[in-house]
Amino acid sequence: MESKEFGILTFESTHHAIEGEKLFKNLELKFKTIPTPREITSSCGLSIKFDLKHIDEVEEIVNEKSLAIKGIYKLWKENTKNHIEKIY
Amino acid sequence: MKREVDARGEACPKPVIMTKKALDEITDGVVITIVDNEVAKENVSKLAKSSGYEFEVDKKSDSEYYVRIIKGEAKEEANVCIPDTFKDMTIAFSSSTMGEGSEELGKILIKSFIYTLTESVPYPSTLIFYNGGVKLTCEGSEVLDDLKKLEEQGVEILSCGTCLDFFKIQDELQVGGVTNMYTILEKIKNPTNNIIIG
Repeated sequence: MESKEFGILTFESTHHAIEGEKLFKNLELKFKTIPTPREITSSCGLSIKFDLKHIDEVEEIVNEKSLAIKGIYKLWKENTKNHIEKIY
Repeated sequence: MKREVDARGEACPKPVIMTKKALDEITDGVVITIVDNEVAKENVSKLAKSSGYEFEVDKKSDSEYYVRIIKGEAKEEANVCIPDTFKDMTIAFSSSTMGEGSEELGKILIKSFIYTLTESVPYPSTLIFYNGGVKLTCEGSEVLDDLKKLEEQGVEILSCGTCLDFFKIQDELQVGGVTNMYTILEKIKNPTNNIIIG
């Protein structure tokens, strides 16, 4: 979780994010529910932050459970500034 | 060797810089820094602490604090505090959730809030937890990692002892110290620098 680069999974709505969190809690995968970084959306949304090494598992879950996601982003920090790149 | 640094009237981060300079100039001995406010006293104390030096504070009056730092045999220099990292601000958590309306949502919001604290500088100087808020600092809390991270950065974390006792979770405290109502009042009495979340 401490790496400078990580994945952000965003959802269609707060309810979907809460559902998503519940699903992730059943997995053996370290994640964190965080407020969606401003660089992705300025609205008050929730997303799931995860280690990019689990990207395949995350995509698998999303497809398998047909989670209502908005997108998956790669986020990294440079001089305390966030940078994002949409990866899914 | 003994040195006195009079940092009264100096604005942050000057007292810390002056103290650091005095400490750097001596190989061993004592540096006494005189400051005129609580925040400066805290910052100078943090410098001593983070450098691994013993120190003691003598409060002569509300506007006169003597911080006595003993520089002994060279210990490894730890991360030196950057005074701008902190803001003289207390955030009090009155509950383990944020806001009313939905408990489920409230739990997620408080997690989000505390995570966001770890991401934004300056950090608040103190976090206080009381009533249901103490559940956040105890075993089973989902925000322990973030609170520990804040504590490592020097944020003071305090849980209300009466409340820990009430919920019978004194033994489950995982981060920060225990405090009482006197300290809580002291930390939140200044309306310009406190936020109550609950």
